[in-house]
Amino acid sequence: MIQVQELSHSFKIGKKGKERQVPVLKGLSFSIQEGEIVSIVGRSGSGKSTLLHILAGFLKPDTGIIEIDNVRTSVFNETESAKYRLAHFGFIFQNFQLMPGLTVFENIELPLKLSGVMEKERRQKVQELLQLVGLTEVQDHYPNELSGGQQQRVSIARALITDPPIIFADEPTGSLDSETEQDILLLIQSLNRSRGITFVIITHDDTVAETAHRIYRMHDGELIEGGASHAI
Amino acid sequence: MRFKDQIDFVRQHIRKNKLRVFMTILAATMGTAFLIVLASVGFGIQDTIRDEMLSNRLITEIDVFSGDMDAPTIEGLKQREHVKAVVNRQSVSIRQETGMNGYIGGQSLIVTDFGEEAKVEFALKEGRLPQNEHEVVVGSHFAEGMIDPEKLDAEGEPVTYNGKLLGEEFTYKFGLYENDELFEEEIPLTIVGIAKEPSKDWVHDMKVYGDASIMPKVKQIFISNVEDAEVTDLFYSDVKMYADNLENVKSVSEAMKEDGFDVYSISDELERMDVFFLVLKAGLIFVGTIAILIASIGIFNTMTMAVTERTREIGVMKAIGASPKLIQRLFLMESAWIGIIGTFIAIVLSYGISYIANLLLPIIVASALGEEDLGSLSVTFSIIPWQLVLIASVISITVAMISGWRPARKATKIDVIQALRQEL
Ligand SMILES: Nc1ncnc2c1ncn2[C@@H]1O[C@H](COP(=O)(O)OP(=O)(O)OP(=O)(O)O)[C@@H](O)[C@H]1O
Ligand SMILES: [Mg+2]
Repeated sequence: MIQVQELSHSFKIGKKGKERQVPVLKGLSFSIQEGEIVSIVGRSGSGKSTLLHILAGFLKPDTGIIEIDNVRTSVFNETESAKYRLAHFGFIFQNFQLMPGLTVFENIELPLKLSGVMEKERRQKVQELLQLVGLTEVQDHYPNELSGGQQQRVSIARALITDPPIIFADEPTGSLDSETEQDILLLIQSLNRSRGITFVIITHDDTVAETAHRIYRMHDGELIEGGASHAI
Repeated sequence: MRFKDQIDFVRQHIRKNKLRVFMTILAATMGTAFLIVLASVGFGIQDTIRDEMLSNRLITEIDVFSGDMDAPTIEGLKQREHVKAVVNRQSVSIRQETGMNGYIGGQSLIVTDFGEEAKVEFALKEGRLPQNEHEVVVGSHFAEGMIDPEKLDAEGEPVTYNGKLLGEEFTYKFGLYENDELFEEEIPLTIVGIAKEPSKDWVHDMKVYGDASIMPKVKQIFISNVEDAEVTDLFYSDVKMYADNLENVKSVSEAMKEDGFDVYSISDELERMDVFFLVLKAGLIFVGTIAILIASIGIFNTMTMAVTERTREIGVMKAIGASPKLIQRLFLMESAWIGIIGTFIAIVLSYGISYIANLLLPIIVASALGEEDLGSLSVTFSIIPWQLVLIASVISITVAMISGWRPARKATKIDVIQALRQEL
């Protein structure tokens, strides 16, 4: 489903005139199959987030090709990239990234609004997902009135609302306690099974990594497949 | 994103920062209201002066100056293109006296062509037009000119005639200014009609209007009393032409000038005045625009702050798939909204200020001049025509959108990764 070839990226750091090129990704090639949960692990600063940002189109790679379902997304401009994200990707972030001014309901609804879906259909889909993630009770609350676990469920619901084939998750349980972490991981696994959604999960936590079908390790700017894992 | 959802989105943001947005709208309102009220003075004064210039004449009127205007010449004028009517009012240029039931007056006789008069403005209030010799129409204030020479009223003012006019007969006599005595002969005249009041209520029409049938009699009396009289001196012609509409006044005037007539029409003067006021109004609008530009700094500030404050939210929006174009549009709509609301309030406010100014300023001016009679002071200080409202709205909303442009551009340039990294 996702095919990456010779992906390289480096950052310029330091003062202007004295800047230094720091290579972060050094010619990665890998692929991710449809319906997989893939986790990418690695030490802090190894470039995991950078890889995800490039896959998601937030960042343009220096060189390399990304193809998703045979569409070359690495050549998209900003507008094309945004349009593609809206239709094909969902995102789960470590610090949830909910809109503070919107209620739970409105947060989940937002991607549908951006897609121009009619209000009636929106309401129905949001209710469905509220039920799925178990937040029907708090739908009119604001994010800062919820626990971390609840907030992450809101962001999962928001990621699911457009029925994307791929969901990217950057440290999805990084801000949660271990019990809540388990809840969220179970939710991800069941969504993967019931809906066939492909998950790309970035983590530095082995228990999280082990929920995946496949683990990649980032090391020294390179990605090494760490073998299959079948925790459950 | 649907337009309705975009509007909802913008309104939600505005509601979150009520005070700041309110202050910005206030500034925009003040700037725009300043522009409208300032320029409205230009419109008001122009209107007042124009009214003043046109108070005694029709705008299509063209004065024709010529020593000898004989009947064929007048007929010739009527045949010209775009001429609606040619009124030749001939007045008697000697001393005149009227007498009626013991009252006497000095109203002057006007000989005219009622057919032509009727094409322009002349109309009767009562009665009919003269059909026979010795029949006349009198002005609406004719009776005010008839005074009882023997009596004074309680205040020491002369007593004027207040009886019936229609069907009454009065005598008309005249004589030379240099003699004390008038000519012996009297012409008996019968009032068959009363003219309509002039449109301006301070104009008192006391004239006697007769048709050409009275002229031979007047001439004959004149000749029999004055030795080596020049009959041409007796009647003084006042010829006025009327164009069929305003646009043709100029062409009619030009054609007359080419044919050697000496003419005057107010349209040249109005044209000059309009140019002057156009420049004045443009100047006032320019000054008012500066006020709006000052207000636009506030809009720029507010929008820049809004973008900065919402950096993370904009990042999230972009991350989940909002296009840069949409982000830009949402922010432009927000600044346009400030402009539109500010303009709307400003329009309402300006009409209020204009109304109050027109109500109060005449009183203030009158008391400053120590004048008691307010009726005679018919000055309009401020007029807000729809064109001014349109111009002000366009300027104000455009300026609001221009000042929101840079902040909106800034919002589209926000880097998703940087924005998501911001602490909550
Ligand atoms: N915008 C940037 N400018 C310069 N250097 C950057 C930038 N973004 C990331 N880097 C550098 O690139 C490297 C990889 O960063 P990245 O955030 O991808 O690491 P990570 O694996 O996600 O780490 P963590 O587990 O701590 O999130 C780091 O050394 C970081 O300093
Ligand atoms: Mg990271």
